[in-house]
Amino acid sequence: MTQGQQASSNSVMRLSDRAESRIEEIKKRYPDVRSAVMPALYIAQEELGHVTKEAILWVADRVSMPPVQVMEVATFYTMYYKKPVGRYHVQVCRTLSCALRGAAKLTEHMHKRLGVGPNEITPDGMWSFEEVECLGSCGSAPMCEINDVYFENLDPQKLDAILQRIEKELPNLRLSTLNDELGAGLAGAPLSEVRESGVRK
Amino acid sequence: MKHRQILLANVDFPDQATIAGYESRGGYKTVRKVLGMDPLAVREEVKKSGLRGRGGAGFPTGRKWDFIPAKCDKPVYLINNADESEPGTFKDRVLLERDPHLCIEGMIIAAWAVQSKWSCIYIRGEYGYPYVRIQRAVEEAYKHGYLGDNIFGSGFAHHMVVHRGAGAYICGEETALLNSLEGKKGQPRLKPPYFPAVRGLYDAPTIVNNTETLAACVWILENGGEAYAKIGTEKSPGTKLFACSGHINKPGVYEVEMGYPVLDFIEDELGGIWKGRKLKGIIPGGSSFPIMRADQLQGVTLDYESLVAAGSGLGSGGFMVMDDTTDMVEAAENVAHFYAHESCGQCTPCREGGHWIEKIFHRVAHGRGLPGDMELARSVANNVEGHTICAFGEALAWPAQAFIKRFPEEFTARIEEARIEEARIEEARIEEARIEEGLVAIGNRNGKENGARPSMHYQLKSNH
Amino acid sequence: MSEQQSEHKAAPVMVNLTIDGKPVTVAKGTNLIEAAKSIGVTIPHYCYHPHLSVPGNCRMCQVEVKGQAKMNIGCNTAVAEGMEVLTQETSQKSRDAQSSTLEFILINHPLDCTVCDQAGHCKLQDYHYDYNAKPSRFLEEKEHKVKALPLGPTVMLDGERCIMCTRCIRFCDEVTGTSELGMLNRGDRSVIAVNEGHELNNALSGTVVDLCPVGALTHREWRFNTRIWFTKETDSICPGCSTGCNVKVAVRDRQVVQVKARLNSQVNKEWLCDQGRYGFERFLPGKRLTAPQVRGVDSTFDQAIAIAKTISGGETLVFVAPDLLTEEYIVLKRFLDKCVKQSQVAIAYRERKLSKVEEILISPDYAANFRGAEFSGLVTGDIQAGYEAALERLRSGTITNLILVGDRCLTAEDATPEICAKIKQASLSIAILTDAASSLAASATVVLPERSILEKSGLLINRKQRLQYTDRVVEFPDGTQPAWRLINQLAVACGSRIVSAQSDRDLTLEILASESRLAGLKIATIKQGGVCLDSYKPGDANSRPSSSDARV
Repeated sequence: MTQGQQASSNSVMRLSDRAESRIEEIKKRYPDVRSAVMPALYIAQEELGHVTKEAILWVADRVSMPPVQVMEVATFYTMYYKKPVGRYHVQVCRTLSCALRGAAKLTEHMHKRLGVGPNEITPDGMWSFEEVECLGSCGSAPMCEINDVYFENLDPQKLDAILQRIEKELPNLRLSTLNDELGAGLAGAPLSEVRESGVRK
Repeated sequence: MKHRQILLANVDFPDQATIAGYESRGGYKTVRKVLGMDPLAVREEVKKSGLRGRGGAGFPTGRKWDFIPAKCDKPVYLINNADESEPGTFKDRVLLERDPHLCIEGMIIAAWAVQSKWSCIYIRGEYGYPYVRIQRAVEEAYKHGYLGDNIFGSGFAHHMVVHRGAGAYICGEETALLNSLEGKKGQPRLKPPYFPAVRGLYDAPTIVNNTETLAACVWILENGGEAYAKIGTEKSPGTKLFACSGHINKPGVYEVEMGYPVLDFIEDELGGIWKGRKLKGIIPGGSSFPIMRADQLQGVTLDYESLVAAGSGLGSGGFMVMDDTTDMVEAAENVAHFYAHESCGQCTPCREGGHWIEKIFHRVAHGRGLPGDMELARSVANNVEGHTICAFGEALAWPAQAFIKRFPEEFTARIEEARIEEARIEEARIEEARIEEGLVAIGNRNGKENGARPSMHYQLKSNH
Repeated sequence: MSEQQSEHKAAPVMVNLTIDGKPVTVAKGTNLIEAAKSIGVTIPHYCYHPHLSVPGNCRMCQVEVKGQAKMNIGCNTAVAEGMEVLTQETSQKSRDAQSSTLEFILINHPLDCTVCDQAGHCKLQDYHYDYNAKPSRFLEEKEHKVKALPLGPTVMLDGERCIMCTRCIRFCDEVTGTSELGMLNRGDRSVIAVNEGHELNNALSGTVVDLCPVGALTHREWRFNTRIWFTKETDSICPGCSTGCNVKVAVRDRQVVQVKARLNSQVNKEWLCDQGRYGFERFLPGKRLTAPQVRGVDSTFDQAIAIAKTISGGETLVFVAPDLLTEEYIVLKRFLDKCVKQSQVAIAYRERKLSKVEEILISPDYAANFRGAEFSGLVTGDIQAGYEAALERLRSGTITNLILVGDRCLTAEDATPEICAKIKQASLSIAILTDAASSLAASATVVLPERSILEKSGLLINRKQRLQYTDRVVEFPDGTQPAWRLINQLAVACGSRIVSAQSDRDLTLEILASESRLAGLKIATIKQGGVCLDSYKPGDANSRPSSSDARV
C-alpha cells in the first residue's frame, strides 16, 4: 500500500462542501488528475489559512499523490505558505527595476510601521510582510502586492495611505480559488496601473 | 516615429476584453478563416512571416510548429507560456489584461496548425487581476461556442484551461512548465530525450509558445506572412513589445517595429532619462541578458542581431534603463540574489554557484570585498555557464560576468575602499591595544578582549 | 511475449566509437559511462545508476565529444557510430568541468569527515583526490540544514552532507514504489525529507544507504561503530534466502560491522533487503561449539567418530539445513550412497508469504542453497512436502538413526521440545552444528562442531539456478571444521574417503573437476556475476556470456 493510500484510509479531513465540489470540478479539466495538485493546494490554503499538515494529506488524497510529493510541490513555490501570514500580507518587490526606483524605502517603511521583521505577523494578526522577487510591474515601480492585489507607483507616503485605508475599510484583496474571483480591492483604487502605448495615445 | 501597432492596437478600449467589443474591431474573424485552411498552410504563413519566439529565446515559431508531425496518434498539446517572470518584463500582462481574446484567438489558430485539442494558459500565480481577465474571457468564449467540442461550428474540438502558477521563475522554462503542469516540481527536464515536441506534456507532443508570440499569429494569418515579414528587419521581422522601466520619464509597454535605434527609443519614446540625469547603462532583454554601457549603444538597433552583435540580446524585451547615480555593484548583487532565489536546485553548478556569486557580491557591496573577489566571481560564473541542465545556468552567469566586465572600476573601487577601511580599523585596534597595554601592565589581560573588532583578514588568512 | 521474442532475443545492433582514442564496440543505446566501463575506463559519476532513471543532475560525468562545443554528460549520451569521446583521461576541458563540479559540491558540504561514517569509503573524498585536489576558494558562510535526523527505523539523514543526487528518492519511487522520500524547497535550500508523520520503512530501506555516495544517509544500526579502514571487506553472497544477493561484508574483530550490496544486474541489481543486511549476526551464534560432544559432554574427535561410524549400514533419517555449500551437499550425498544403506533425506524448506515490496528482491524461503541440495541429488520433487513427511516420521515413529546437518536443519518453529525429545529417543543421532546453545546440540548423541556459512568458501546456487561463489568473510573459531570435512572424516571411518581436498578452495576445484554438469568452469569465471546453469552448456565457454557488470 503506498503512503498515499495509507493516508486516505486514516480518515483524511473533509474541507467545506464548496471546497470538495470545487476540487472535483477542477480535476475534470485536466487529462491527468495529478495536474490538479496546484489548484488543490490553493483551495486548502484558502480554507485553512496556510498549508498545514492536514492540508498536505487532504491534497494527497484528493489528487492521488504520495504525501511527500505534495510537500515537494508545496515547498517548491513561494506562494504556498507553510506558516500563517497576516490577514493582509504585504509583498514588496525588491528586484532590479523596483530597487532602482526606491523599493528599499518601501521595505524600510514596512519595518517602521509594523514594528515586525519580514515573515513575522503583527500581534493583532492583521499584517505581515516580506520582500519578493519581480512581480511583473516594473514600469509602475516601486510597488507591492497585498494578498493578491497590486498597488503600484508607490512611495512611502502613498504606501502608508494605502495601509491606513486597508486598516479602516478591510477590503477583500483575495483571489479566491473557491469562487474563482478577485476581491474588489480598495474602493476607487485601480486593480492595474500598467501603462502602454496603445495607438490611441 | 509612429510604430505600427499590431498587438496594442486596441488595448485602450474599455470593452476590448469582451467578445462584443473584440468582435466590433474585427476579432474572431481570422480564426474562422483559418479553420477552413489546411493546417500545414497555416504553418506556412507563420514560417513566411519569420515570427520568432517572443518569450526570450527567439526561436522561429513556424519551425517549432513543424516539429509536430502532420498526423499524430498521441494527443497534441498547446501551452501559452504566460509565466512572465523575467525581471524587467511585464508585456504579456498587458495582453492578458486588456486584450485577452486576442490571446485566445491566437491560441486557437496555433492549435489548428498543430491539431491540438487541448491547450492551457499557464499564468504566473502573482498575476491575480490578469488571471481573472483571461479566465472570464475563456468562459465567455465557451459560452459563444468558440471553445468546446465544436468550435465555431467547424467540427474541430478545442478545450482551453487557465492554470495558475505559484511563484517560481523557473516555470517559465518550457520543460519546467510541463513538469509543473503535470503536478511535479517545476524542474526542467533533460533534453534529450524530453524535447517537448516529442515527449512533452504527459509524454505527448507539445508546443509551448509565449503569449506575445501567439497573439501575433492573428495579424499574420489575417494579412499574410509576407506582409509581416516586410515590417522590421530581415532577420527580426515584425513588431516587438518592449516593457520599459528604470530611470526614464515614461516607463510602460511600447510596441516597436524591429530595427529601431536604441538611443532614439530612449530619448523619444521613453522621454529620456529622468531628473535631468545621464544614461549609464541598459539591460535590453530582461535581467538574464548582459548589461550594456551607455557608450556601447551607438548605432545599436532594437532587433535580435544588432543587440547580440553589441554584446547583449533582445530576450523578452524587458528594457531596463539606469542613470548615472546607479551603483552597479548593488545592481549586480540585486540581480545575483534573484537568480540564487529562483534556482530550482536540480543540478550542481547552478544550485551552488548562484548563491555563491550572490554572497561574493554581497560582501563586496557591503564593504568586505577582498582583492581577487571579482576574478573569483567571474570564475564561478564561467563554471556555471554551459554546464547545466537548462539555460538558467546562462541566465545566472551572464549578468554576473557582464557587470564585472563592463563596470570593473566600480568593483575595484569598492574593494579598495574596503581595504582602506580595514587598514584604518586595524590601525585603530593596534592603537587601542597599545593604550591598553600601558594600563594593564599590572596584569589584567581580560580587558584586551573587550571592544576590539576582530579583523576580517585575520579570520580569513588561512583560507586565502 | 510474442513468438518471435520467445524464440531468440534479436542480436543487438552494435556501434563502433572511440573513447580516449581506444576503439570500443557496444550495443546501440548504451550510454558513455557504460561504454567506457567496458574498456576499463571510469567516468566519475554520482547521480547515475544503471538500474534507476537518469536524472543528469550531478554534472560529474561531463566528457568532451569531438565536434560538439558543449560538454556532454556521459550518463545521458548514447553511443553513436564514429563518435570520438574524450574523458578526463585525455581532455583538459573534461577535467576542468569535473573539477568545477566537485568544487561546487564542496562549497556547502560540511567538514564532517572526522565524524562521518562514510569517511574512507566516500565517493566525495575519493573523487576529490582523484579529480579535483584543489584547496577551497569559498570564503562565505555555508548553508545549514538538519543533521542527524532519523528518517525511519534504519536510516539516518544528515541534510548538509547531501549532494542532491536523488538516488534515494528514485529508489523509493521506481523500485519499491513506496515513495516515502522527497526533496523539499528549491535552490541550495533543497533537503531530503519524509512527510511529517511518515517514515522510511519499506523492506529494502537500507539500500538507500548503499546508494548514497556520501554520508548523508547512514545506517542507524551501525552508526559510529567503526572506521571502515579498520575492517576487512570481502565479496560474498548473502545466506539469508535463495535470492543469493551479492554483498560486500566488512568484518572487524570477528564481528560483522557493515554489509553492503554489490552490483549484479542478474541477481540483486544493487539492492539488499533489511532482513538480510542487518541479520548477518544470526549466522554467528554467541556460544560456539568448539569441541565434539558425546551425550552432552565434551569429548575428543576420535571418540566421537568412533561412536558416529556405527551409523553405517542402518536405515537413517537425515535432516539437512538449506544453507550449506553445494560441495557439502555433494559430499553428503556420496557419503549416504556409499556408507549408509537406506536413508530418507529432507531439507528444511518452508515457503512464506511475501509482501509486494519484499517480492521485488526476497525469495519466499529462508533457504539460501536449496537448489544446491537439489543439484546434488539429495532431494527432489516437492521438497517442502518431503520435509514435512520426514518431520512427521520423526514425530510419530521410533527412529533408529538420525543425522542432523546444520543449525537450521529444522526450522526454528519445528525444533520444539517434543521434536527434541524424539531426537533423544533415537538410537544414534549425529548432529553437525555451530550453536552450542541450540536445543539440537543438547539432544543429539554425537555433536560435531562445524563452521558457519560465513566462515566457509564455496558454491551456492540461487533460486533461479545461478551458480555463485561465496568467499569466507570471517575467521572460524579454533576447533571447528567445515561440515564437508566432518562428513568426509566420518566416511573415512566408515571405510570410504569421499574427497581428498583439505581446504575449501581445493574442495571446490575437486568438485568442479568431478561434476560433469560443471565442466569447464573456473572459480574466477563464476565470481564474475555467477553462471546461469539453465543455459550453461558444460565445456562450452561461449554459452556463458561475460557479465556486463565489469569491475571498475
